[in-house]
Amino acid sequence: MLRHVTQGLALGALLAVTAAAPAQAKTIKVAIGHQSMCTDTYTAGIVVKELKLLEKHLPKTGKYKDVDYDISWADYSSGGPITNQMMANKLNIGVMGDYPLIVNGAKFQATDSLRTYYVAGTGYNLKGSGNAIVVPVKSDLYKIGDLEGKEVSTPVGSAAWGMLLKAAQDNKIKFQLKNQSPAVGAANIAAGKIDAHSDFCPWSEIMEFRGTGRKIYDGSEAGVPYLHGVVVRKDLADDYPEVVQAFIKAVYDAGKWIKEDPIRATDLMEKWTGVEKEVLYIYFSKGGHLSLDPTIKPKWTEALKFDHTVLVREKAIPPLDFGDWITEKYIRAAYKDMGVDYDKDKAMIVDPAVANAGLPNEIWHARDGIKEYATLPEFLGAIASFRATGAKINSTYVYDKETGLKLFGKTAFWVVTPKGEFATFLRRGEAEKYASTIDGKVITFEDAIGMKSS
Amino acid sequence: MTAAARASRIKDAVTARPRLWLGIALGFPVAYYALMFAALVIRFQAWPNYAVTYDWFGNVAEIVRSTPSVSDMSAIIAQEWLFEVGRMNYDFGNGISEWSLNINPAKVLVVMVLAALIATITTLLLARRTQCSGARLNGAGAVGGLGAVLVGMTNVTLAWVVCCATPSWVVGLAILGLGVSSSLWLEQFGWWIEYAGFASLVLSLLWLSGPPKPAQAAKPSSYPQSAMGAPQ
Repeated sequence: MLRHVTQGLALGALLAVTAAAPAQAKTIKVAIGHQSMCTDTYTAGIVVKELKLLEKHLPKTGKYKDVDYDISWADYSSGGPITNQMMANKLNIGVMGDYPLIVNGAKFQATDSLRTYYVAGTGYNLKGSGNAIVVPVKSDLYKIGDLEGKEVSTPVGSAAWGMLLKAAQDNKIKFQLKNQSPAVGAANIAAGKIDAHSDFCPWSEIMEFRGTGRKIYDGSEAGVPYLHGVVVRKDLADDYPEVVQAFIKAVYDAGKWIKEDPIRATDLMEKWTGVEKEVLYIYFSKGGHLSLDPTIKPKWTEALKFDHTVLVREKAIPPLDFGDWITEKYIRAAYKDMGVDYDKDKAMIVDPAVANAGLPNEIWHARDGIKEYATLPEFLGAIASFRATGAKINSTYVYDKETGLKLFGKTAFWVVTPKGEFATFLRRGEAEKYASTIDGKVITFEDAIGMKSS
Repeated sequence: MTAAARASRIKDAVTARPRLWLGIALGFPVAYYALMFAALVIRFQAWPNYAVTYDWFGNVAEIVRSTPSVSDMSAIIAQEWLFEVGRMNYDFGNGISEWSLNINPAKVLVVMVLAALIATITTLLLARRTQCSGARLNGAGAVGGLGAVLVGMTNVTLAWVVCCATPSWVVGLAILGLGVSSSLWLEQFGWWIEYAGFASLVLSLLWLSGPPKPAQAAKPSSYPQSAMGAPQ
């Protein structure tokens, strides 16, 4: 009514202004919205930006011979605002997590004339790890069932929110849900002002690394893959498909660059994002949470469809035609140009339980860098030796016996067997169960080190 | 009762107190945004530490250029901001905006219309206090007040950066303490609540601008006429 009248008046005036704009040389705008505080977006965000990988791949011949590119990057703390900016055409490429991606597609499809395409992934964790529920480090809560009736905060609308809802449904528990941004949630966990906080990557690990929080539920328990991806405005994709392909090539290159040398990558990414390199390492190292892979797998489509049903139940978002939204056209063309076998990559799915079996445990020595240890006794012995000499250790990494997920040594639950062997677990319940089957006992990280320092 | 007669009463009421009308029409939007700002500062116990001005005209021109459908265009323009003031949290990474107050010209326009309606109802209330019954004045005032609250509530432009949730009027409710589930549930009814608010304001205007009922105008006193010295 009134709103439409006022909007109409404003439009009329502005149409006149834009019609009078002078003609200029052809410039293609490539405006990307990314999230420097969401690790899973880095291969389509901060890495591409800082290494200028998009510039490397942008077409410069044929119809692009005399084109100028106007490349801009905008950093957001979440996917929602990126979608809004894409609608206003201030951005034409967006990088975000699964739930925000769905909102993006559905919101665009709810308009008469605008659409986005989901053109590529960035990375995933098959088990759903990346999202987690964290409690204050001194809390007496150890499993999701303990959250019954408690105050739990989460950034509503995020992937972590979706996971929290599913976890509550799966475990038939009810709690008081509070809407909390990641930074505020992390601060409240540090101050013990909230019983638990559910968040996306890398917030849970930031809290663990800083010693303020402890995971009691990992996204892997929800059993739904956690993934991030790239959405592109249809007008950019239709008018300049080679630009979209160039962006996908840049995403591929970014992943390759990280895999080549995770230490170098995390060191630089810490400078670019402010997130501690030790935290980033748990995502980007060999055996880390994140499998860098831009391909669009059928399993991802299934996961996104499932996520959409969660959102429909909770937020009444518009319907989403996945067939119109998800397209492999651009990524297939990009892979073909690069001479990479798309179908081979698409068929490959990394399961941490299998892929991480037998990987060495690691100590990040402040001076000497990452040191690898094949067994936990060797690993513990090395820590004890370093401590004895006063050497500084940045961080330590072990693997969850159940899921194969990489963990900080200090936050893992340790089980010692009667023979003096060790096993590490993400969750206390599984550690206790394992201990009872082998007549072992659950001990702390410090106890485990103590057993090797003599 | 013709619409012209009602309009004439409204016009008379406004022209009788032009300064009051103008004061409310201009002062209400200022007070409205000042109140939102104060609510943020009080709620979060902190002053803002950043402010950004946006190229609203440039952004709108870009939307017009790149959006084929006029109906899409208007909906997107309605989301454009002119100014943002808020608090950035630098504890993590490069900083995250925890909360902010946004000045959105489309919303400001709606608030100005709301202010004009409030000003008109106020002048009418004053102009007709001797002509209408207390019940009508109180009733119309209450209906108008309710309408003002509903319209004001649905045009809140506060943001509480909640990861992937976009700024919406219910963020204001969430910030002020309403449960998240209740806020999200209410979000879908935003348009209806706003329409109901404007309908209440218009109803209030119509009620106040109507003629005094003859029965009310000639309402007999509860005292015996003879006791008041009236002719028998």
